[in-house]
Amino acid sequence: MATTTDPVRHRPMTKEFRDSAAATLAAARDEYAAEARKGRGGRATVQRYADRMDGLVRTVVEAASDRTATPFVVCAVGGYGRRALCLHSDIDLLLVFDGIIAQPEERFVNAVLQPLWDLRLALGQHVRELAEFDASDTSNPEFLLCLLDLRFLAGDASLFERVAARVAEPPGPGAALEPLLTLIDQRHQQFNNTHYQLEPDIKQAPGGLRDIAAVRHLRALAPHAFDGVGIEAASDERLGEAEEFLLRIRSVLHLLGGRDVNLLTHELQEKVADAIGSTGTHPHQRVEALMGEYFLRARTVVRALASAERAVRPAGPPVPTRRIGRQFAINGEGVMFANPERAANQPSLWVDAFRVALDHGCRVSERALSLIEQNLERCTPDDFVSTEGERQQLRKLLVPRRRLYDRLSEMHDCGLLNRIFPEFAKVHCRVVRDFYHKYTVDEHTLLAIRGLESLLDPPTPGRRRFTSILQEVRAPELLTLALLFHDVGKWREADHAQESVRLAQSMLDRLELPDDERATVEFLIREHLQMSQVAFRRDSEDPHVAARFAELVGTEEHLKLLCLMTLADVGAVSPETLTPWKEDLLWRVYVETYNRLTLGYADQLLEKDPAGLAVLIAGRPADISEQELVTFLEGLPRRYLSTFGLGAVYRHVRLARDIHPDEVHTFLEKHDDVWELTLVTLDKPFLFSNISGVLSYFGMDIHRGQAMTTPHGLVLDVFEFTDDEAYLKQNAAATTEMSKMLEQAVAGSVDVTLLLRGRMRSVLHRVRHHRRPPVVHFDNEHSRRYTVLEIVADDAPGLLHRISRVISGQGCDVHLVLISTEGKRAIDVLHITRNGAKLPEADQAALAGELQHVLEAGE
Amino acid sequence: MKLIKSIVRPNKVDDVREALEKLNVAGMTVTDVRGHGRQKGHTAVYRGKEYSVSLIPKVEIDVVVPNDIAEAVVTAIVESARTGEIGDGRVFVFPAEQGYNIRTGERDI
Repeated sequence: MATTTDPVRHRPMTKEFRDSAAATLAAARDEYAAEARKGRGGRATVQRYADRMDGLVRTVVEAASDRTATPFVVCAVGGYGRRALCLHSDIDLLLVFDGIIAQPEERFVNAVLQPLWDLRLALGQHVRELAEFDASDTSNPEFLLCLLDLRFLAGDASLFERVAARVAEPPGPGAALEPLLTLIDQRHQQFNNTHYQLEPDIKQAPGGLRDIAAVRHLRALAPHAFDGVGIEAASDERLGEAEEFLLRIRSVLHLLGGRDVNLLTHELQEKVADAIGSTGTHPHQRVEALMGEYFLRARTVVRALASAERAVRPAGPPVPTRRIGRQFAINGEGVMFANPERAANQPSLWVDAFRVALDHGCRVSERALSLIEQNLERCTPDDFVSTEGERQQLRKLLVPRRRLYDRLSEMHDCGLLNRIFPEFAKVHCRVVRDFYHKYTVDEHTLLAIRGLESLLDPPTPGRRRFTSILQEVRAPELLTLALLFHDVGKWREADHAQESVRLAQSMLDRLELPDDERATVEFLIREHLQMSQVAFRRDSEDPHVAARFAELVGTEEHLKLLCLMTLADVGAVSPETLTPWKEDLLWRVYVETYNRLTLGYADQLLEKDPAGLAVLIAGRPADISEQELVTFLEGLPRRYLSTFGLGAVYRHVRLARDIHPDEVHTFLEKHDDVWELTLVTLDKPFLFSNISGVLSYFGMDIHRGQAMTTPHGLVLDVFEFTDDEAYLKQNAAATTEMSKMLEQAVAGSVDVTLLLRGRMRSVLHRVRHHRRPPVVHFDNEHSRRYTVLEIVADDAPGLLHRISRVISGQGCDVHLVLISTEGKRAIDVLHITRNGAKLPEADQAALAGELQHVLEAGE
Repeated sequence: MKLIKSIVRPNKVDDVREALEKLNVAGMTVTDVRGHGRQKGHTAVYRGKEYSVSLIPKVEIDVVVPNDIAEAVVTAIVESARTGEIGDGRVFVFPAEQGYNIRTGERDI
């Protein structure tokens, strides 16, 4: 007769005994499987299975009990301890002896475990002497946590009482609190801290069964922390419903997999949806229903856990309530509405609450979130942007900064984001199956925004390159807006980029963005896949590919935005997608295209863009003839049309009308805090130097600009500057005075250098700060006709004047200029010639020396 | 059997894969790698500043094929990955002594 562990003097484990145990287990499993197959493998089923397992374990313990004379107790711990035993879950056992563990006790342990192993059960056993419970083993957090679900199975009941009492002794279960919080954090990090997983782990992922257990453990470990927090019965009920739903799924997964499978893969989703009765005519509809419910339940769990974590985390010093303006207050809970009744009827305040939270580095309080959630139904998207102030407020909210993802996620979870942008609601929990994406479309979008935000604290030097780009873009909130909408078209199976652009139209109407910004957002949404295509799928070194891509983006501003968007989009596909390898490829395309756009644009003339010309001619106002328009555009680079809209072009034509030598025609306008000066005149030596000098003389800080010269000598300069000293604001006649000075400078009747020198010597402008060495670089490759001079230097008043004065002083002509700034650094690109030709190396060296001297001298 | 390891331009992966599929080479391992060949990278200029691009992104494609088609496979890789410019990559051929199927544990080479 075959026997197992057969010490001569003890009862052998007979074949009958093993057959009987196997039959008991098989019956329990059959019962479980039948329920799971019908989608009824919820709490009642897993508890019943745990009860059956209890019976089995007790039988085995009973059969083994004569191996030892030492009092013992066998307990269930962990998931088994709380009777949450799925079909192939581990059977976690704790065996404790009231005495020393010697050979007889080891034989007993073996006699208990061996039959269970023979039944192919997965065991997790802990064997201890009672004395070992004298000191809590804080070095083993998992063991501490499994003791929280200690349950008597067999053996000495009084010993169990003593074990339970020892476990409860100080530091007791409280010692498990910190390890539990740490384990939760670590586990969530493995899932990128989001529950919106396309193939979720039902047990381990955020919002999974382990989180439900964690909520209950936290409540049990620190009951006093929940005093006054108020755990609503409804919230508990929702948690219970979530557990029921997740257990039903897990039961099917175990049944289908034949082992402890918890990953709800795409492949298994259809089978699970059918088993648990998700509704829908077609399989994909049933899967959508399944996953939709999953995300809803997981969110409930995540919220409950976040709330429990907040309650038990050691509180810092009490935060006194302080008022923020008239509408808000901040305390330890976060941003509150000062007057909730009023806030309930003022949707724009809800948006502002999140802006205040971002400004003050805190969250929006649960109470404020509840108020918003309860009042959402009454609002339309227009209610949030009915005034210019509200529109600006929404824009400010979207500026990438730390914790933007957290606040947008809160807005999303409470329904506010979908209410403001109903188009975004179309991809709420939307599942699109492919080989790459790990998250739902909405979460992918929010993670992309988090990627943008993470550039503020770049984790690697490679990523820091992109940070510098983000710091240069004019309106980074447009990037957030474009990211929010880039995938909304995925609500249906088609060209999602085009559909996203279509859906964005109503949002753009509501926000009343200026034409150029509207075009930028549309461009980013429409072309959001193009840069990754070029970088990762095509030969970016192929001149045709590079030229076509440069043509597509048109301006360096669009390039920067698209580059950042691509980086964020790729990074949000999964934690592994954006590798340093891909960053390098993207950066190479960015640099190549940037150089084409800034250094190589001079040879691309407008004449080669008949389509663009035709649009201009067709749309021209009655006062501009075709001939006048064509003459004006002759010799201008194609970049001109990428940079300026139709309205600006026609304005330029009118400014150029009847211009004579020494005359200057100007147009000055203000957009928010930035002034834009457009100026047309006829070319002459030192012209650019004198014009930029006049602006500096009036204290204007030039941030961006460009200057173009046509073969006929017509000069078109556009400067964007801020009036930091408020000269234009405070002086009624300031614009007239500035125009007059510009006329004098152009006519040569005033010495701009002399004027500026006086100003530069004033105390106000003697600003000393750490200076970085300037960069002066010549390039004779990118342009057929011009030498391209690139200067990167610390920005300073009059810098442009001094640079261009040196260039003109060396007998060079300035044909095209691009001016930009990156923080405190000025980046100027000038296309120059001397005597109509590119500069040879010797001349470049001489000019470089002069420029270095002037730049390093600082004046 | 031969292990053929090729280092190609990232944008050439699809072309190489297609060429290999025509020769009924189904299994392959594709890895993103960075490195340089004889030219030791190159320099690029951004904002007037030169910087060296010493490690260039490439893709490594590994296939194990029977001896009798190894030469054809090499030819297919070379032809499909070639642009004629510096930086097209390299192909290396190694003898593969044994291979096992992990799922079944069976030796298949």
